[in-house]
Amino acid sequence: MTGSAARTLPYIYAFMGIVLAWQMVVVFSGAHVAILPPPLLAAKSFVELIASGELFKHIGTSLGRVLAAWTIAAVIAVPLGLMMGRSSRFERIADPVIELFRPISPLAWIPLAILWFGIGESGKIFIIFVATFFPIVLNTVAGVKGVDPVLIRAGQVLGCDDGATLFRKVILPAAMPNIVVGFRISFGTGWAAIIAAELVAAQSGLGYLIADGMEILRSDLVLVGMVVIGILGVLIDTVFRIILRAFSWT
Amino acid sequence: METQAKPVEIRDLEMVFNTSRGEQVRALQPVSLEIAPGEFVALVGPSGCGKSTLLNILAGFLTPTGGCALAGGEPITRPDIDHGMVFQDYALFPWLSVIDNVAFGLERKGIAKADRLKQAQNYLELVGLGEFAQKRPSELSGGMKQRVALARVFATDPSIIFMDEPFGALDALTRRFLQHQLLEIWQRHKKTIVFVTHSVQEAIYLANRIVVMTARPGRIKIDQEIELSYPRVYTEAKFRNYEKLIYDQLDEELAKTFDFESKGVVRD
Repeated sequence: MTGSAARTLPYIYAFMGIVLAWQMVVVFSGAHVAILPPPLLAAKSFVELIASGELFKHIGTSLGRVLAAWTIAAVIAVPLGLMMGRSSRFERIADPVIELFRPISPLAWIPLAILWFGIGESGKIFIIFVATFFPIVLNTVAGVKGVDPVLIRAGQVLGCDDGATLFRKVILPAAMPNIVVGFRISFGTGWAAIIAAELVAAQSGLGYLIADGMEILRSDLVLVGMVVIGILGVLIDTVFRIILRAFSWT
Repeated sequence: METQAKPVEIRDLEMVFNTSRGEQVRALQPVSLEIAPGEFVALVGPSGCGKSTLLNILAGFLTPTGGCALAGGEPITRPDIDHGMVFQDYALFPWLSVIDNVAFGLERKGIAKADRLKQAQNYLELVGLGEFAQKRPSELSGGMKQRVALARVFATDPSIIFMDEPFGALDALTRRFLQHQLLEIWQRHKKTIVFVTHSVQEAIYLANRIVVMTARPGRIKIDQEIELSYPRVYTEAKFRNYEKLIYDQLDEELAKTFDFESKGVVRD
């Protein structure tokens, strides 16, 4: 068996197990189709959504929002984390601020996001931004602080005379694996936040599909949305793991 | 044109550390030492005697609390590419290939890419690792990593090289092989070398001169020329005599260290 098959199979078994359990709950509880539709009905809706192209529109919208928020977060969080990791004085100022904001769920930001950004795209991106920001900062700080001091000394005796050169040639590359781990975790948290972001006044997106399905009592659509979020989440994470492999030196 | 080896001069060098508890720990008593250009000096002493502290001051990583250290007549104030360093745990950059590690210092010296890769390849061949140029350090054994580190430091053509127990983490056979290789390169390129080691045998095998340091706070106990021609033979009577001489000095210091430590245990 090849390596990728060995990694994929457990996911397929898990998926089959979940579907089986789902079917059993439907059969034994006798739940109304609007409360819990059988897997087959959800699959039918899934196929319909694919055939009409609607599902891809939702996926595209959600992915675009997460990508935008995540990029903005990376652009701000990486330099911030680098500075915090290098300067303990700056860290003493910035760390308490970050730690106070970090426990606040992206959901809690919805009212302010609407007040500040309105119900357009930017409010949604802001909510996902909140979800993606902290993992990148924290992992970047950890990466910079975790640089082996002997590598810094080696850089110094090999001609990195000023702080900027040392930073560019030694500290940044040494911290890179941690930073990429931050990217990976943060994309995951951002992806999970699309529900929160698309709960309010969205016209498309997987979160919208779920929220809309609830309103029109189409729990099959809710389930399709949930399943697609789950599967895409795993796929995106796989892509990151492949990227991460390029940064693992051991 | 190769860089000329420089002399190293240490005048009344002193080092006192402040611990986090606010206590003062004296690591080095005033130490004075003169090292001639091209000389190979080994620093030997019990653990914690301050020999690594001394080396870190010479390399420019630490600022002494008293006295001064000069390289080629200039005070040492900071790390310098002209003063190379070999570390015990190799300190190779894991994200760079072997050849890029060796070429790292050459890039900093402003040598063009084609030239520096050619020079790096030459130095890799000098340590017998020409075929490993494209490997990552993680793919090499400890002995091979230290050979890359030797190639890296000699490639930048420094006038002085500091070595902090460079072979301490290697097995006995690899160690022997690397000692031999280091001597060969040193005899060809005649750099000033200051070499910290725990091994008396290694010191006598390699160095022109052995400086034995006392238990903490470190000062120089004896400064012994080794008048044996290279290659030296461990089993030779003269080699053995030097060994006995150095061990006798060290045993006195070890006795003091153990005495001190056993008192420490009682105190705790």
